[in-house]
Amino acid sequence: MNPQKSPVTDNAAHQRKGVLSDIRVLDFTWKTVGPWAPRLLTHYGAEVIHVERVNGWDDHRYNAQRSIVTDTPDANQVQGGKKLYAAPYFNTLHHGKLAISLNPRSPEGLKLVERLITKCDAVVENFSAEVFPNWGLTWARIHELNPKIVYMSSSGFGHTGEWKGYRSFGPTAAAQSGLSLASGLPGQPPAGWGYSYLDVMGGWMGGLALIQGLLKVKKTGKGMYIDYSVTEGAMSMVGTYMLDFQVNGRRTRRPNFPPGNRAISPSLAPHNTYRCAGNDRVGQHWWVFIACETQAQFEALCALMGQPGLARDPKFATNEVRVKHQDELDAIIGRWTRARRRYDIMQKCQAAGIIAAVVQSAEDRVEYDPQLHHREVFPIINHPELGDFPYEGYPVKMSRTPAFVHGRAPTLAEHNQYVYGELLGMDAAEIAGLRERGVI
Amino acid sequence: MSGVYEGLTVIELADRRNQWVGKLLSDGGARVIQIEPVNGSPGRWCGPFVQDKVDPNSCLDYWWNNTGKQSVALDIERKPAQDLLRKLLARADIFLESTVPGTLAKLGLDYGAVAGNRALIYASLTDFGQDGPWRDLQMNDAAHLALGGQMSSTGYSDVTVTPIGGQGHQAWHMGCAFVLHGITVALFDRLTSGEGQYIDVSIHDACAIGTEGAVPQWMYYGETMYRQTGMHAAPRRLPPLELPTADDMYVMAINQAFNKRSWDALLDWMDEKGVTGELRDPKYQEESVRTAEYRQGTLIRDAIRRLIAASNGEECFHRAQASGISWAVIRAAEENYDIPHYKQRDYWRNVEHPQLGRAIPYPRGPFACDELQLEPRGRAPHLGEHTQQVLAHDLGLAAQEIAALTAAGVIK
Repeated sequence: MNPQKSPVTDNAAHQRKGVLSDIRVLDFTWKTVGPWAPRLLTHYGAEVIHVERVNGWDDHRYNAQRSIVTDTPDANQVQGGKKLYAAPYFNTLHHGKLAISLNPRSPEGLKLVERLITKCDAVVENFSAEVFPNWGLTWARIHELNPKIVYMSSSGFGHTGEWKGYRSFGPTAAAQSGLSLASGLPGQPPAGWGYSYLDVMGGWMGGLALIQGLLKVKKTGKGMYIDYSVTEGAMSMVGTYMLDFQVNGRRTRRPNFPPGNRAISPSLAPHNTYRCAGNDRVGQHWWVFIACETQAQFEALCALMGQPGLARDPKFATNEVRVKHQDELDAIIGRWTRARRRYDIMQKCQAAGIIAAVVQSAEDRVEYDPQLHHREVFPIINHPELGDFPYEGYPVKMSRTPAFVHGRAPTLAEHNQYVYGELLGMDAAEIAGLRERGVI
Repeated sequence: MSGVYEGLTVIELADRRNQWVGKLLSDGGARVIQIEPVNGSPGRWCGPFVQDKVDPNSCLDYWWNNTGKQSVALDIERKPAQDLLRKLLARADIFLESTVPGTLAKLGLDYGAVAGNRALIYASLTDFGQDGPWRDLQMNDAAHLALGGQMSSTGYSDVTVTPIGGQGHQAWHMGCAFVLHGITVALFDRLTSGEGQYIDVSIHDACAIGTEGAVPQWMYYGETMYRQTGMHAAPRRLPPLELPTADDMYVMAINQAFNKRSWDALLDWMDEKGVTGELRDPKYQEESVRTAEYRQGTLIRDAIRRLIAASNGEECFHRAQASGISWAVIRAAEENYDIPHYKQRDYWRNVEHPQLGRAIPYPRGPFACDELQLEPRGRAPHLGEHTQQVLAHDLGLAAQEIAALTAAGVIK
C-alpha cells in the first residue's frame, strides 16, 4: 500500500475546510450511481448527511467479509447491523459523509426530514419516481420548506414522460442509451461496459449537476429542481452516432460495428489489443494495447519487432493499406507480443514513441502503477478503531481551493447525536424517545 | 435563456481530449472561443464526415463536441499569435488546454505567465497530469481504457477472448467530467474571493477510480474480477444476464428480487409462452424461497432465458418494466429518436445547419433543469469563422493588421 500521509479523519463539520464548507447536503441515495454524486461534494468540504432507513436498506453496506486489510476479526463482521467497516464499495461511495438513521414513512420521521430540508442547501435521492411524492415530498413542498434548496432526483429515465415509473440500474441505462451496443467485437453479442460505466460516470455527472445547481443558487438565491435521467446523460455521450444517423443515415446497429478495439474514426492500423505472456490470478489472458497513429510510429514498431521490412511491404506501407490488411498485421504483432512480458512491451514501445498500454487490472493499478502512486490516487485513511484503510481518492488538483479526502465512511447511524442533537437542537430525552418509537 | 455558465468567456485551445468540456460550458451559456491551428483542430479530421467526404467543416464528431463555439484560427507557434492569445486570456474567465506538459511554458502561456488576470481559471486536462513518471507517455482514448482498468472489466466471459474498450471516447469523457467539477467549484469560490486558480486533471487518474467495485474488491479482499459478457465484472462467475430475444435483440435482464406483483406478472407471462416449468409450485409463492432460488439455483434463470427467447425485445422491456422488473432492451443510439418518452421530455434540440439546408435534432444535455439550461446554443463553427470578428471587436485590431497577419499565415 502507498505510504502516504493520513488526511483528516474526523467527518464533523468544524474539521472541514474547502470551498463548499458552508454547504450541507441531505443524501437519500443508495446503491451505486446515486451515492457518487453527493460524495464528490465532500472533497470540497460539503457536509453530506447520508440518511439510512432504520432497519438498513443499502446492500452495499451489508456485503462485508473478512478483509485482508485489518487483523482485527470483528472489524470484518456485520454485528447486529451496526459496525460495518469492511464493506468495500460502501466505504468508497460514502467516504467523508455523515450517517443518520431515520424512518421517513412515519409521520414523526417525515417531520424530521422536513426540518432537515430547512437546514440544507441540497437534497438528493435516487429512488423510483413515486417514492418522494408518496412521502409527501413533492418539489412544491420541498421548495415551500426551503426556497433556496437544490433538489436533484437521479433516476434511470427521469421523473416525467411515460417511462417515469420504469426502474433502472447502470446497465439498464447503458443498454437503453446506445452505449452498450457501442462496445464489443463485430458479430458477437454486445460486450457492454463491465465497470459498470454508468454506475460510475452517471454519478460523476450527477455530482456536476449538483455543483452547477449550487453555483446558480449562490448567484441568484433561487432554488431549483434538477431532473437527472441517467439514460439521457448517457445519450449525450454518444452524440456523434446520433448525428451520423441523422446526416448519413448510418446506424450503429450494423454488421461491422462495434469494431472491437480497432479504430474506425479515423481508421488506423495497427490499433488493437494483443495477447502477451501469462495469465491473471483467475486465468484470464494478459493483454497489451498498441496503436500507431503516425507513419513514424509504425516504422518504429517494425524496427522494434525486428522486422523493418514490414514498413516497406506493399500490404503495410501506408495506413490506408494497413487498414485493409489489418487481420494479417494484427497476427504478426500478436506473434511478437505472445511470448513477451506485458510491461516490457509497453516500456519498449513507449521508449520508441509508440502508443502502448498494458490492460491493467485493479491489482496492477493499486500495487504497481508508478504514476498513480506518484499522484496519490489511492490514499490511506486512518480509522480510529481499525487503523489504516485504503480508499479511492478524488482526481482534481486545484491550486487555490484544493480538494481533500476528508475521512472514512460512517458506520450506521454514527452521527445521529450530531444531527438530531446539535443541528436540530433536540435534547437527550427527545432523541431517546425517537429511538424508542422506532423513528430513528 | 439563462444557463448556469451565462456571461462567462472561455478560451479553449483546440484538442480532442477537452472539447467536450468546452461544449458543456457553451451549452450552459458561456461564450467559448476555440483557438485552432490554421489547418484546423485535430477534432475536425477524425470523422465520420458528411457523406464521408473529408472536410474540416464536415466532421460530425466535431459538430457534436463543439456546439455553439466560436472558432479563431491562430498559429500559436508564432509570436504574434501568442501575443493575441495572451490578450484574449487577459480578459477571459476560463482557459481550457490539453497540451503536452511544458508546451505552453515554452510559449510564455503557462499559468504563471497569464495569472496577471487574477480571476482566470486555468484548467489543464492531460493524459497523466502535470507530473509523475508516466507524464510524457503516448496515449489515446483506447490506451487509457486499457491502462485505467476499464478494459480489464469489460468484454466476454471466455477467458481467452480479448478485453474490450468501448467506442465513443469514454476515457476522455471521464477526464472531462472532473475538469467540469473543478471549473464549476472554482467559479463558486470566485464569486466570493474574486480569485481564479489552476486546475490539473489527469485522464489516467480519472479512469483509475472509475472501475466501480474492482479496486475496493482488490484492496479489501485481494480478489480479481472476471469479465462477463455484457455484464458487470465480478469476483465470481455469475449466470448470464444479456439474453437473446425472439427478434434478434438482446435483453439486459438485471433484477435483484421479485416481489409478489412482479412474480405474479412474470408467471402469467411465462404461462402464455409455455415456459413456466415447475415455477407454479406453491413454495415459490414465498419471496425468500424464490429469491434464494434465483440467486443460487438455475430453475428461475432458465425459465427467464426461455421466456426472453420466446418474446420480442420491446415486449420484454415494457412488460417487465410494467411489472416493476428493471429489464432493458439493448438499443442502438439512433433508435432513441423514435421513442415518445424522450419527446415528451423535450429531449431533442433542433440545430440549424445551413450547409445541409436543414436542422438536425441534437440531444439536449445531460440534465433537465430550467435554471441550468444545458442545451446546444447553435452549430459548431467553421474553421476560422470568427477570427476576424474576435480580432476586430474583442482585441480592436484594424483591418490592415488583420490582413497582414492573414497574409503571413499567422491567422486564418
